[in-house]
Amino acid sequence: MGKRVLVAEDEPNIIEPLTFLLGRAGFDVAVETDGRAALDAVLSDCPDVLILDVMLPSMDGYEILKRLRADRTCAALPVLMLTAKGQKEDRETALQNGADLFITKPFANAEIISAVEELAKGRPSNRV
Amino acid sequence: MSSAIVGTRIRQHRRDLGESQSNLAKLAGISPSYLNLIEWNKRAVSIDLLKRIAAGLGVTAETLDGSTERGLHETLLEISQLQAVDSAGVETGRTAELIGRFPGWSRGIAALAQAERQASRRAQTLSERLSNDPFLNEAVHRMLTRIAAVRSAADILIEYDDLTAQERKRFTAIAAEESAILSETGEALANYLDKAEEGDRVLTPVDEVEAFFEQRKNRFGELEQASAGLEITFTDSRPAARVEQARDLVNSRLQDTIEDLLRSENVLESAAAQKRARSLLTDYAIGALLMPAATFADQARNAGYDVEALADTFSVGVERVCHRLTALPAGEDVPRFGYVQANAAGTIVEMLRLDGLRLPRYAAACPLWALYRAQQSPETVIRQRAVFPQGGRIVFVARARHVGLSGFGKPRHYVTDMIAMTEADARLTVYAPDSAAPVEEVGPSCRLCPRVNCAHRVEDPLT
Repeated sequence: MGKRVLVAEDEPNIIEPLTFLLGRAGFDVAVETDGRAALDAVLSDCPDVLILDVMLPSMDGYEILKRLRADRTCAALPVLMLTAKGQKEDRETALQNGADLFITKPFANAEIISAVEELAKGRPSNRV
Repeated sequence: MSSAIVGTRIRQHRRDLGESQSNLAKLAGISPSYLNLIEWNKRAVSIDLLKRIAAGLGVTAETLDGSTERGLHETLLEISQLQAVDSAGVETGRTAELIGRFPGWSRGIAALAQAERQASRRAQTLSERLSNDPFLNEAVHRMLTRIAAVRSAADILIEYDDLTAQERKRFTAIAAEESAILSETGEALANYLDKAEEGDRVLTPVDEVEAFFEQRKNRFGELEQASAGLEITFTDSRPAARVEQARDLVNSRLQDTIEDLLRSENVLESAAAQKRARSLLTDYAIGALLMPAATFADQARNAGYDVEALADTFSVGVERVCHRLTALPAGEDVPRFGYVQANAAGTIVEMLRLDGLRLPRYAAACPLWALYRAQQSPETVIRQRAVFPQGGRIVFVARARHVGLSGFGKPRHYVTDMIAMTEADARLTVYAPDSAAPVEEVGPSCRLCPRVNCAHRVEDPLT
């Protein structure tokens, strides 16, 4: 069984390609489309990598990240922020809240796979 | 006014008009002999007297004291320093001669430079507006998401030769579906930008003033300080009379502070915006006199920020209390308030923004807001616990009040005042909803709202 990746994303047509790509790369993929549900899922059973969108219903990605980092069990969970909000301040907010990598939409498939593979090896230092 | 040539100018203008010394002296309220001494530069002229003489001659005081020409001289020298004319070889040493020989051309050059400056500032403001426009931000965000889906699906189709027929069909469908939505979004965006270019939609005076207040976070420390230094004892307990008393004091003592504020920011470009901002700042100062900062913050906290109770305490209208609440200095355990006022037609006529609350700039707001419900029960406070599509919880408190003359047979007109606060901040106020209170799903406006199945939708969202 491969390493587990949780995709917190609410766009079905982004979820499908991501699920396919990560599945082919050997990851075990789970999906949450709601912010609060994603936080609950991570806190109850920490995955190896979290791919986190910023704009999610009920709770945004930054808030999820903040809460994860405050929780001892998930403080070291590698998180890849994946968002269409690519302005400088968005990157800074992601960094401040503890994101490990920040990739903007539209992304290249290979970029996502290699980022997740790297994160799955263990949490690197901040490289946002 | 000690300028040695003022008298000469007065004499010249009087003679040009064919006016007698005695008649002009009479118009200015002085003796002919005194005017004679002035005309021969043997007496200094006070500003007041110069204004009276200028009025008698039908010119401005600036024309007589030469400040118009001095101003023009300074403007032309300033223009000569501009980068655009740097290499033109401007004869700066002959500027006075230019003005003297060709005053019309000189004014023309100055006007042209001013027009160019205004156009640049306008372009800059427009560019700032565009980057902060919630509609555009939303549209760009959605377009990027669509492009991501198309690109990812298309790449999968190209990069993976071993896709099953079903997978191939599915990713082809995603690319097609998203491309179609993308072209619609692009079209909607192009239409929006076309409309924005049609007129001053982006830069209306209301927008300018709103940006001005936003820059200052609805708070003007200069006016707080200046009004705190004034002593006022209200002699009447009627709200309208107190406002008039405060207005007189603001007009006589705080105009300089207000004018300084109007000049302090580059946002207020048009005369109409300046006028509106002046009026709102006057109201702000009146509020600061009626509800001094020193006591208002404490009283507000003690009253749980109850708008009506505070209106009673300070004998003022609820609208003024709402304004004052938005200007509370930031601090721990101090709730932040936004304010919206709508007329009976539902048009938002005033807006003081609250961070975290998306208010539509160009469209009607969501019809589900308490703002539009309050007029069904005038003079009644309506509280609404609202949740926005992205999960933000906002508490709205709205109340419609009668405006204008009242009396039997007269039509009654209402406007609605509404304050907004985050649900977390509402817990610090009397408006805190209990946990069992229903949460109503609302949006910013139809175009910006993703709740596609909403029964109250009147316009498609920008997908």
